[in-house]
Amino acid sequence: MGTETLNPKGGAVESKGLKAGALGLASATVVGVASTAPAYSLAASLGLVTAAVGFKAPAIMWLSFIPMGCIAAAFFYLNRADPDCGTNFAWVTRAMGPRTGWLGGWSSMMADLIIMPSLALIAAQYSFTFFGLDNLAANTWCTLALGIIFIMGMTWICVVGIELSARTQMALLLTELIVLVLFSVVAIFKVYGNDIHGAVHPAMSWIIPTHFGGVSAMSEGLLAAVFIYWGWDTASSVNEECENANSTPGLAGVLSTVILVAIFMLVAIAAQSVKGADFLSNNSDDVLAATGHLVFGGSGIGRIALKVLIIAVLTSSAASCQTTILPAARTSLSMAMHRAFPPKLGEVDPRHLTPAFSTWLFGIFSCVWLTGLVILSRATGGDVLSWSVNGVGLMIAYYYGQTGIACVIYFRKHIFTSAKNFFLVGLLPLIGGLTLAFVFVWSIKDMSHPSFESPPTDWLGVSPTLWLGLGTLVAGIPLMFWWNQHDHAFFRVKTDPVDQRPPPEGGEPLPPLVPEGAPR
Amino acid sequence: MAGDVILGYDGQEGSEAALGTATRIAAAFKTRLVIVFGYRPAPIGGDVTDLARAVRAVGERITSEALDAVRTLDASVTAEVELVDDRPAEAILRAADEHDALAIVVGAAGRGPLTGALLGSVTYNVVHRSTRPVVVVPAPERA
Repeated sequence: MGTETLNPKGGAVESKGLKAGALGLASATVVGVASTAPAYSLAASLGLVTAAVGFKAPAIMWLSFIPMGCIAAAFFYLNRADPDCGTNFAWVTRAMGPRTGWLGGWSSMMADLIIMPSLALIAAQYSFTFFGLDNLAANTWCTLALGIIFIMGMTWICVVGIELSARTQMALLLTELIVLVLFSVVAIFKVYGNDIHGAVHPAMSWIIPTHFGGVSAMSEGLLAAVFIYWGWDTASSVNEECENANSTPGLAGVLSTVILVAIFMLVAIAAQSVKGADFLSNNSDDVLAATGHLVFGGSGIGRIALKVLIIAVLTSSAASCQTTILPAARTSLSMAMHRAFPPKLGEVDPRHLTPAFSTWLFGIFSCVWLTGLVILSRATGGDVLSWSVNGVGLMIAYYYGQTGIACVIYFRKHIFTSAKNFFLVGLLPLIGGLTLAFVFVWSIKDMSHPSFESPPTDWLGVSPTLWLGLGTLVAGIPLMFWWNQHDHAFFRVKTDPVDQRPPPEGGEPLPPLVPEGAPR
Repeated sequence: MAGDVILGYDGQEGSEAALGTATRIAAAFKTRLVIVFGYRPAPIGGDVTDLARAVRAVGERITSEALDAVRTLDASVTAEVELVDDRPAEAILRAADEHDALAIVVGAAGRGPLTGALLGSVTYNVVHRSTRPVVVVPAPERA
């Protein structure tokens, strides 16, 4: 993409082919890894993975990457085909029609909403723990209050458009990775030195993907682990901005993958060897703080290391909060621009150049959602954090799965034209899509029983997680029909003709989804 | 054209003052003034394309107002607008190279040096990466 020059009379003049901004290999990798927020993801879900599959958590860590990697191929090629529309909402609309596309956009925003309570509460708990205020960390109302402050603060940061410089981001990420490695190495050393009572020596069987204890256990583990890798796809979808669009994103994708899979497996192995898998499940709300305390001890250098570990979780939650609010606001802006949402949501604030209205709306909704869930969990007994992570897993499985299948449908005429196409736009997206579809359906089956939760929690006969994960998705349907009554233009969009374009060149920009000035 | 003056303009705090200074420099050196607006949002947060398009639309308005302001200040200055599909700092630096600029003029948004470094302000970025003279214009003190 080049520069456009407006002459003084205001007409656009094509300019001299400046190349679009460059995102280097390191930056692209950092974006990929940072968007995944490893320390926070582990803090939020490691205990849930072990609760599902016990000592098989490390195996789940690499196994769950497979569907995610497959879906990344779909993201990559759909983005290539239609770089003018940067969201899965637009791609799914082109491949599968406006209603499916609308629900796709809706589900990605709901995924963002569902995870906000987990982000806010973990940030609040670890903040209190950092200052040694353990009794406040255990107090529901204190963590709720700090959580709300955290959400509103992060929303403000997103509205104003404050962003960390590339170097700051790199420094934070390196600290995060180094402290996680340090934690793991020290833990494993102490385990082999028999320094920790109740330690379990790591075993080969931990990473072998068999004997998960049933399909339901595996599917539950996958659901939590899919959440861990959520956000990683960003590295592959920012391909247009890379210095060498053909190799950088691919290489950055591979690099960030290797880093992530390695760190997740390492931490999972180390953490469960400290005191066994059950210890993680029982401390699922503050896994890293609890094991960190055992590993680093309470004095001297260990104390400092523990503080750094807590800071890493905190900065990681803040980063993750930013990469949750920003996409939610951007998707709703995108949908409004394509007339799938009210136009107010498509406005950009002229002072900050951000979708301020969408962003505030999302922030406020998140606080209401968080407060509601905390009150409900107090009333019915249950754990907001595990509801959020399992619920969001369901939603991610839905919209990633949908993207994989959309890729196969969109390129169906080109799948058999070459071996490369067959694998990259056919087989991989199909495997990813079907795996996630299976996890989605199987989880719904499991979650429909109150016994899915521990302790069993019954909301009108089904588990709270299902209300969160599926309820919010279904709630979109009446909204969609309501908007259809208001403005029908988006819902008249036809799917693209099958022979549109071969992957991956792209070519001429596709026409906009909704032509300008289309009637209601 | 070689020797143009580049003005990094986003309509935010400090831009106004920078616009005045840039106009005076362009008038004094009898060169063209190029008003640059980079509209690509940060890649972190994904879903960039539609937002970029929306920001560009806002940028069109902001820069055309800036163009009017330049004419009001000094009708003898030839000014033009460049909307660039890039991050603001990159847009300014690239336009400067493209035009073999005499100088770059940017506003200081009122952030201190440390926050500028940590938060990657456009001005900080331009000052430290430019190979050409950069004029940083502080925002007028608030009463």
